[in-house]
Amino acid sequence: MIQTGLIQNAHNDLVTDASYDFYGLRLATCSLDQRIKIWQLDEDTGNWDVEDDWKAHDAAVTKISWAHPEFGTIVASSSFDRTVKIWEQTAYAEIERPQANGASSSSSSSRWTERAVLVDAKFSVRAVEFAPQHFGLKLAAISSDNHLRIYECLEQPSLATWQLAEEVDVLALPSTSPTSNSISQTVTLATPTQTTSTLDGASVSLAAQALQQQQQQSQAPSRPGLGNREADGGWCISWCKDKYWGEIIAAGCGIDGKIKVIQLSPSKRPATLLTLSTAPLRPSSETTSKAPVPPADGEAAPYAITSVSWAPSCGRSYHLIATGSRDGKVRIWRIKPPALADEADYEGDGDGDGSEGKWTGSIVGEFDDHKSSVGRVEWNITGTVLSSAGNDGRVRLWKATAGNVWRPAGHIGVEQADEQPPDIDMDENPVAD
Amino acid sequence: MAPKASSSLLPPLFEQGSTEEFKASGRTLAVAASPRDGSIAVYPTNNKAPQFMKAGYPKKQPIYFVAEHLAPDAERRTFLSDTSVIFNVVQNLVKTARARKITLFDNGETLGALRKLAQDYVNFCKECWIYAAENKTADTLQFSDDHYRQLHTCLSLFTVLYVPEPGLEGAPAGEDLLDWLNTHFVEPSTDEGKHLATLDKPWEDESYWSYLARATLRGLSKASAFFLETLSKHPSPYLQDLSRALIPILSNHPRFSQFSSERDFAINSRRWRDKVKTLRVELDRVPEDSREDGFDNWWAWFSDIVGVLEGRAEVVKRVCTDLGGDWKEVCVAWTMFVDPRLRRQDLPDIVVDILDDLPPDPTNQEDVIHSSLFLGKPVQALSQAAQLDVWLSAHLADMMEALELIEATPTDDSDISLRNLYIIQFAEYLHSDLNLWRHTVDYLCTCGDIGMKMADEVLVRVPLRLQSPKDSTAASEESARIRAGDLAGVLKEVNASCFDHGREEVRRMVCKAFTREKEYGLALSYCASAEDWPGLGRIVDRVLNEYVSQGPSNFARSVANIAPSLHALRAQSKSGLNGVFIYRLIFAVRFAEFHQRKVNQEYMDAAGDVVAMLKEEVAPRAWWAVVLCDAVDLLQNHEIMPFTTSEATLLLHKLEEVVSRSSYGAGKDYLAVLAQCTKNGDEKFALQQLQSVRLALAKYYARALDVVPV
Repeated sequence: MIQTGLIQNAHNDLVTDASYDFYGLRLATCSLDQRIKIWQLDEDTGNWDVEDDWKAHDAAVTKISWAHPEFGTIVASSSFDRTVKIWEQTAYAEIERPQANGASSSSSSSRWTERAVLVDAKFSVRAVEFAPQHFGLKLAAISSDNHLRIYECLEQPSLATWQLAEEVDVLALPSTSPTSNSISQTVTLATPTQTTSTLDGASVSLAAQALQQQQQQSQAPSRPGLGNREADGGWCISWCKDKYWGEIIAAGCGIDGKIKVIQLSPSKRPATLLTLSTAPLRPSSETTSKAPVPPADGEAAPYAITSVSWAPSCGRSYHLIATGSRDGKVRIWRIKPPALADEADYEGDGDGDGSEGKWTGSIVGEFDDHKSSVGRVEWNITGTVLSSAGNDGRVRLWKATAGNVWRPAGHIGVEQADEQPPDIDMDENPVAD
Repeated sequence: MAPKASSSLLPPLFEQGSTEEFKASGRTLAVAASPRDGSIAVYPTNNKAPQFMKAGYPKKQPIYFVAEHLAPDAERRTFLSDTSVIFNVVQNLVKTARARKITLFDNGETLGALRKLAQDYVNFCKECWIYAAENKTADTLQFSDDHYRQLHTCLSLFTVLYVPEPGLEGAPAGEDLLDWLNTHFVEPSTDEGKHLATLDKPWEDESYWSYLARATLRGLSKASAFFLETLSKHPSPYLQDLSRALIPILSNHPRFSQFSSERDFAINSRRWRDKVKTLRVELDRVPEDSREDGFDNWWAWFSDIVGVLEGRAEVVKRVCTDLGGDWKEVCVAWTMFVDPRLRRQDLPDIVVDILDDLPPDPTNQEDVIHSSLFLGKPVQALSQAAQLDVWLSAHLADMMEALELIEATPTDDSDISLRNLYIIQFAEYLHSDLNLWRHTVDYLCTCGDIGMKMADEVLVRVPLRLQSPKDSTAASEESARIRAGDLAGVLKEVNASCFDHGREEVRRMVCKAFTREKEYGLALSYCASAEDWPGLGRIVDRVLNEYVSQGPSNFARSVANIAPSLHALRAQSKSGLNGVFIYRLIFAVRFAEFHQRKVNQEYMDAAGDVVAMLKEEVAPRAWWAVVLCDAVDLLQNHEIMPFTTSEATLLLHKLEEVVSRSSYGAGKDYLAVLAQCTKNGDEKFALQQLQSVRLALAKYYARALDVVPV
């Protein structure tokens, strides 16, 4: 891998998220310093110049996401101040307009206007992501009380009104049906009354919190070294980019080491299609476990998933979801939608175990190269290259090779190199595992 | 070689060996992948919630940008673009063959065509190699001459082994392979030859016999004959006689290409072999004590040369190894001397044995690829080629699939065939340079539905650069032309590319971009070119909506944008397909003209517009009420009488229709737009406004009676 550029000093404290716009010509960054910066790529020089910079929140900003340009130049940011904010880049003519947040540092340079503040979360909001554009101007946010919220913009030109379309406690979310192919520990803990509804949000979330505390206590002895859930947990979301299957989002919470693939539909309550969990799974197994498996030999020790990324499927018959987690692993999951009813008819009865109509998942790649906590995983636009970064101070690329075997495809680190770097470090050849 | 990867980013974030301290500081790394070129932004971030972070890490927060590949430089780009032309021809060839249900490699015509194209690739690599060698100064080139030389040897070996001349698929391969080896791995060196030629008694030189043996192995009969001639002055009469006998044998070594049939070649080879045997008999007659000349054991060398010609496998192997030759040398010598009738398809059996003794150099990618090609392992060759250059693996895989050397359908559960895997990998490399997007899309679009979808992802992200840059006048001219409704520049190319590959959805996406930026004129001409009539209708609606949301003057400005395209569209509309949408456009333009005229105080003309819009039913029903309301100030203008009596009657008729129909429950059809323009957006207000129209009309009639006494 090769370094192609550098921003010497992006923020005055750690950068918490960086996100490219649709064209990759701009980069939005946010930081513990509570600010958002928008950088513009100078295509001639390859340099990134600050275009805008403003104090966005009253606490650390956690994530930033661009809306599809079809809706305008819009970003959403989430923060430890328990809000999600919607920002729009406004035309020059509108600069004079007083800003709602009154936070612009210099009125002449700031062209981003706060359009809405979403204040439903009771805890820090850890991630925000706009839905794919074919679902309209919608966004998902997840907070550290494990609540996933979906908002829809009702007044598009003004961006002022956002309806809370769904609110769900991810950990308490039940599976779709009794025969569901996923059984997770949390589901068995949850009683039917503890499912969340937007009408009864407060009491339910209290119940859910109590549940988590109980869960934390029960898990505490089995995870030495892991301290506070708020400190070490991971909350992450990623939308399915495909239109065909409707609105689906992958979400991970806290320290339970699971990703839930959640279907959202206007007529029904959110439902879990599939739970991705390593505990009962083996890389070779084709389907997720059908029965609860007790944690074995400390293998199932809980860990936080810090990052999830749903690859664009680009017409493949399956989806790829990558996760990075504090157990030091980068995992690539292959999940397959149910066969269509008419296809199933043509193919006969299949295996006859009633598996049609279900999503199935398996691990197609599991890598511990980062050794310690993985900070982020992200796919390229075609879902063919996965990049990951971790606590070892290295960025790694992963690609599928012939035979659909995922392999390392290069890495580069921030650690100072030897005077003469050894050749071994420089090889880009995939190393067979 | 290809550009070297580096192992660390600059400036380093922490010192060597301080990974643990980095972890302890509560930091980790995160990434963001750029949709533009696949590059990655890397930055240190917090691994814990901020309230649990200890202070003490550096305040300076860098963001590094890294890429898997460097974007190709100018020379490399030329190479990529030039070879993409050949690639496109190969695609057409394969497509045509499939359409005609021809198996490409079974048909002389198609195989011949593919062979020609393969040789075109070979020649391009050669040209690049020569170019790079000539421009070697400094490290200016991304890929060295040696890199292109390697591409050259690999591709030409592929051609020799897998794309033979039509009709010669089953013919002995030795001579072709010898040509390949002699072209790319020249031995013995010309310098050696020159040096020996200057000597009176060359046999006294230590390189003499090895030179002669190598020249024999390489079938260089002229060179061998030349130096054997010199032995006529050698003191040993035995050697004089033997060399005199050897010269014609070497010169007459039968070559397959000299014969019209393989049978003749076989007969001649046998006869020739008998002559070699005779020579061996004579050689063995030389007494033991006459076999040295004080410089070397000439007899042993001579015996080795004869051994090679006899086709003794162990001698061939030993001589090659002794001379520093590798497995390639042995394989080729094998096909020339040990088994001169060896066919391509039988080659792997022999090569396996040879490689057992003389394995390829695992650190030499080129050698490894050669060995896989010799072994008839295309799949393996591809994965090795991908290590050398994704260009090579992609173009090899493309030809391999055409020749059915690799499966055309996915062999694993990835939904992606082997060829497509390598093409997609290459396309990823092309994507590292945004300027090559057209090629990226072309390559991806040869990879089935999945490839097309991937191409869409690239296409929709090609920046159209509509906001023209400050710098060049040419660019702004271009953007002016685009704005005038011309398809130019990037836009034109995106359009063409979408059209070529049938990516209609993408074209419409692009169109949406214009609508968003209120480039309505542009969006219209774009829609028209994409024959997206409903899309055109939507744009007109958007424009009309400007009236509702922004008021008449903004609306008039927006329409000024689209007016020019109306004329062109009218000409096109004769097909009738788009009639409905065109009418809506005509109305929008007329309505804007009307407002413009009012602004310019051309009241008479404005009144003409009102009448025309209502009379010719240009205005949609929902807009009648709006037109009537906007005509009120014309009616109330005391200085002129812009409407004739009958025209005023027309207005009254329309007003009556709107009001009466609305009262029968058709308010939605007649009042919707006007209602939107009012503050509360309800029909009641709209009706109130219409009352003022009625009043104005009544007053107008009254004035008309005054002015023109009945």
